[in-house]
Amino acid sequence: MRLKLISCEVFSREMETAIDRSPNEVDVDYLPKGLHEIPCSQMQDRIQEVVDQGDDSKYDALLLGYGLCSNGLAGIHTRNIPMVMPRAHDCITLLLGSKERYLDYFNEHPGVYFKSSGWIENESSSDELSQLSIAQTSGMNSSYNELVDKYGEDNAKFLYRELCDFTHNYGQFTYIEMGIEPDDRFEKHTREKASERGWKFEKVKGDLSMIQRMLNGIWDDSEFLVLPPGSRIEPKCDAGIITSTEGESQ
Amino acid sequence: MQNPDKFTKEKNLTPIILAMKDLKELYEAVITGDAVTARSITEEALSGETDPLSLVSEHLTPAMDEIGRRFEASECFVPELLLSARAMKGAMELIQPRLLESGVELLGRVIVATVKGDLHDIGKNLVAAVLEGGGFEVIDMGVNVEPEKIVETIKEKDVQIVVLSALLTTTMPAMKTSIEAIEAAGVRDKVTILVGGAPVTQRFADEIGADGYSDSAVGAVAVARKAVGA
Repeated sequence: MRLKLISCEVFSREMETAIDRSPNEVDVDYLPKGLHEIPCSQMQDRIQEVVDQGDDSKYDALLLGYGLCSNGLAGIHTRNIPMVMPRAHDCITLLLGSKERYLDYFNEHPGVYFKSSGWIENESSSDELSQLSIAQTSGMNSSYNELVDKYGEDNAKFLYRELCDFTHNYGQFTYIEMGIEPDDRFEKHTREKASERGWKFEKVKGDLSMIQRMLNGIWDDSEFLVLPPGSRIEPKCDAGIITSTEGESQ
Repeated sequence: MQNPDKFTKEKNLTPIILAMKDLKELYEAVITGDAVTARSITEEALSGETDPLSLVSEHLTPAMDEIGRRFEASECFVPELLLSARAMKGAMELIQPRLLESGVELLGRVIVATVKGDLHDIGKNLVAAVLEGGGFEVIDMGVNVEPEKIVETIKEKDVQIVVLSALLTTTMPAMKTSIEAIEAAGVRDKVTILVGGAPVTQRFADEIGADGYSDSAVGAVAVARKAVGA
């Protein structure tokens, strides 16, 4: 098969490895991780634009290297060729190899911040996306000193605690090692971050098999939603996470 | 010759005019997020003859409504909204015991909670603050709240409105299970359930049987007021 993959850059190492091992011919476009930080409708528009470019009969299917990503993928539609979307809330499902494993881990470890090679290598966003980010426009990106200058010390302390650290209830970094990393640099980085913040550190073994199945064309309905031409992704509050609905928009 | 009546009136009016001026400053203190001034004016007003409820309905709530309007019109942003809410909250802490003493009730009693599995609270705290500013008594249950705890609190505290928050699509199903627990406990009819959070939509709210949804903290106040017929 000839496939077009549109993926978040957070998976670039995983996708490249899986493409090398896939029997299929895969063209790939990576989009910036920073899309997650801008308003949902803007993320949808930007992904749709790239989907439209790849929505071409020279391909047998479009693959999306994404989870639902806070509804950033909701409403994404295909017109001409089938589109394959992982049944996943976010990238952690793809890194851990199944939505069930992710859910089990999530339920047992509240307050975990995940790291992987892609999360570390793409930590900072472009200036353009940073300016558009919700954190920036709502004042959450301010430094403590900026807040002091603007609102005085007492207010700054309060605002910094309330607004500028969405992870203040978190207590652990979990590093997902996929087994494709060149060395232990990403693990070391995560350990350092954990010790800086006084958080627990855990390393878990990732599982490339779900990503590999996507690229190999093994699209079981329990893992992947295959959208027929002329349909769009719709979030669904059940174990399947997403469903397909006819038409381009509501 | 001086008119004795006029003299008496003027003499009596002076402290009233001063009091009104001071209370206008309470409104201003909330608007500008000046927590220290808001508290000291409230303290002074309560030590005098000022009716505690009028402090809320004539000064604090209008100030929060105005800052909410400015926020919606992008004339101010989240930090300003939070600072105003904080100033208002400081004043409310002084007023609330007095309201309780005199048996005066606020618009309604609201539970605010981030659902089980979710530890994010910036949005939830903002909603709690503006609801308090909007004239509600708020019970903030924190984050990662078990559905059973919500049910218990509804029963114990005679709650009218339940506001559920989630930041992750992963934890949105916990909103559904919270509503199911409220139904199973037989208290669904007692409460209006509102949901919100970045990935939450009106469609989702309808799907899980919530009564209301807002895409912003300020909007949540309007939805909550509507729910209690205010």
